[in-house]
Amino acid sequence: MSDVKIKSNNLNVFYGDKQALFDVNLDLNEKEVTALIGPSGCGKSTFIRCINRMNDVIDICKVTGNIEIDGVEINDENLDVVSLRERVGMVFQKPNPFPKSIYDNISYGPKIHGKGETKSELDEIVERSLKKAALWEEVKDRLDEPGTGLSGGQQQRLCIARAISVNPEVILMDEPCSALDPIATAKIEELIDELKKTYTIVIVTHSMAQAVRVSQKTGFFHLGKLIEVGKTEKIFKNPDNKMTQDYITGRFG
Amino acid sequence: MNFVLIFLIVIFSSSLFFYGKSKTKSISIERNIKLNALPKFYGYYLVLWSSIPALVFLLVWSLFEPVIIKSIIIETAANQGAIFNDKNEANLIYEKIKAIHLGTYFGDIDTILKESAISYSKFLNIFTNSKIVLIFVTIIASVIFSLKKIKNNNKAREDVEKILKGLLFVSSLIAILTTLGIIFSLLFESIKFFSVINIFDYLFGTNWSPQRAFIRDASAITAAEYDELRDAFGFVPLIAGTSFIAFIAMFVAVPIGLFSGIYMAEYASSKIRRISKPIIEILAGIPTVVYGFFAALTVGPFFRQIGESIGLTVSSESALAAGLIMGIMIIPYISSLSDDVINSVPQSLRDGSYAVGATKSETIKQVVIPAALPGIIGSVLLAVSRAIGETMIVVMAAGLAANLTINPLESTTTITTQIVMILVGDQEFDSPKTQSAFALGLTLFVATLILNYIAQRAVKKYREKYD
Repeated sequence: MSDVKIKSNNLNVFYGDKQALFDVNLDLNEKEVTALIGPSGCGKSTFIRCINRMNDVIDICKVTGNIEIDGVEINDENLDVVSLRERVGMVFQKPNPFPKSIYDNISYGPKIHGKGETKSELDEIVERSLKKAALWEEVKDRLDEPGTGLSGGQQQRLCIARAISVNPEVILMDEPCSALDPIATAKIEELIDELKKTYTIVIVTHSMAQAVRVSQKTGFFHLGKLIEVGKTEKIFKNPDNKMTQDYITGRFG
Repeated sequence: MNFVLIFLIVIFSSSLFFYGKSKTKSISIERNIKLNALPKFYGYYLVLWSSIPALVFLLVWSLFEPVIIKSIIIETAANQGAIFNDKNEANLIYEKIKAIHLGTYFGDIDTILKESAISYSKFLNIFTNSKIVLIFVTIIASVIFSLKKIKNNNKAREDVEKILKGLLFVSSLIAILTTLGIIFSLLFESIKFFSVINIFDYLFGTNWSPQRAFIRDASAITAAEYDELRDAFGFVPLIAGTSFIAFIAMFVAVPIGLFSGIYMAEYASSKIRRISKPIIEILAGIPTVVYGFFAALTVGPFFRQIGESIGLTVSSESALAAGLIMGIMIIPYISSLSDDVINSVPQSLRDGSYAVGATKSETIKQVVIPAALPGIIGSVLLAVSRAIGETMIVVMAAGLAANLTINPLESTTTITTQIVMILVGDQEFDSPKTQSAFALGLTLFVATLILNYIAQRAVKKYREKYD
């Protein structure tokens, strides 16, 4: 088994008085796809938003416990969130391209982090990111058109390219295909398979089939608790926990 | 009289609601049929049918009654030997007769006038009585008609919907027609003005002094007189002053308004926002006349003092004082609107920006503001047309002299101020001086219209780009 990239230790998250995660201990392996499944409101998204500290945006959210990336604690007040997010990219449920050109959507991140000083360097980053996101062939002749004019699936790949553009180590995906049709979904899944060669990927999904198709490791959450985690094959064929069994066979959720 | 009638009609037809409701219920029970609509729709149906024809009749009657009575009275007066040469004199006699009838005429009353006054009150009586009778008949007829419809179990729901649709249509028609009426009255008076003053002399003249226009009969103006007048109605100083003051106002209001809008939307905690937003909006509720005397009595003299202490001549009525106060007045328009617009930018865009590691200010500058730009431009242009049309502050603080200047410390004047100056006091309506107010109004209207058009085009263009 490959090395552990991200390690969470007794992670608890509170939204005001309501506790959303209870003592989550979860290891995520480098250059592997980990799928998080579970019914709505079970804390999957809350968990991945801890990895790039997106919960900071929400005033009433409080996080206790530890998360380490490469052995470095990130749930630390003194940590520079900007450089953390440079290392941990995120793709959201609904494609959210900026109201800018395709080119500017991609070059936004590198510019912010001072990468790509010259135009040609930026051009290169844009081309590389779009190629990695399997979008280059479709948009190379219209880079100055608005990103919002693309189809839903293309928009989501644009967002993946945007996440890749700053050269992260980890990509978090929060139900990236839930707003897409089956063909666009298949494309994204294909892409995820390709991306895992370079990046550590965590994907939240509601589709069991998708989890089976793309992930090597699966974690099952229920009511804020991590119920079971293991190799995807094992979780879906022979889970240890009755609740996991019930969920994946569609008895609840 | 009419109010009493309207009141009675409304009371009567409202009470029919309950009658209609219970009547239909009993019909459906008696004949054991299923109604085509709920009983209350039959109630509404009865209310609408009993009131609308009577009210429309009353309206039409009230419009035509005075005209008809007047023509009858003038004719009878003429038959009795009253002499009048033109329409104005006839009108005068008619007014006298009316005054005698009301008992408010204190001049000499000759027999002709007296006879006419008697026949006037006779006609008035006849008309009033027949009005009441006819309204009564109308109501009875429409109630019978609608009751018959109800008995036949008509589709009351559809009919009520149709009538309501008609009422709403008439309301919007009234709004549109009023607007058209205002435009045409501006247009016709302006045409009269431009038939005396050449439109190019008006648009490109650099001197504005309408008080020089002392001519009795504008239609018979001689060439010599026109030479005297041609440079009295130059529009350039007014548009220059207006734009100048509006520019100063925007210079104050846009940065402050926009920045406070951004603060409110992005940084302020909900508690601060809850307290400070209404306070800013109070600025918009202060009457402009209060701003006006603040500008004229406090800010103007203050600038003058500062100017004197550093050796500058500052007029106590200055473009700077007026523009500054106008800018403060406009701040809430811009801040409140841009706050709303920024708030409506979806959170997902901010999340996307944070997720690549952007800071809050980078996100605001590069993602939120560009996304909100159409709305922000819209709010700024709205504020500009507000500034151009603003009257009270400039009347009080900017001065009356039409100086063509770009020195903000001198007094200047605006289109609105001049319209006020021209129309205050007694006016002769055939003098070019008075008519010039309409020309100014028309110009202001056209300028605002063009501004709004440009604003909408700009906003639309950005929308297409960013949607």
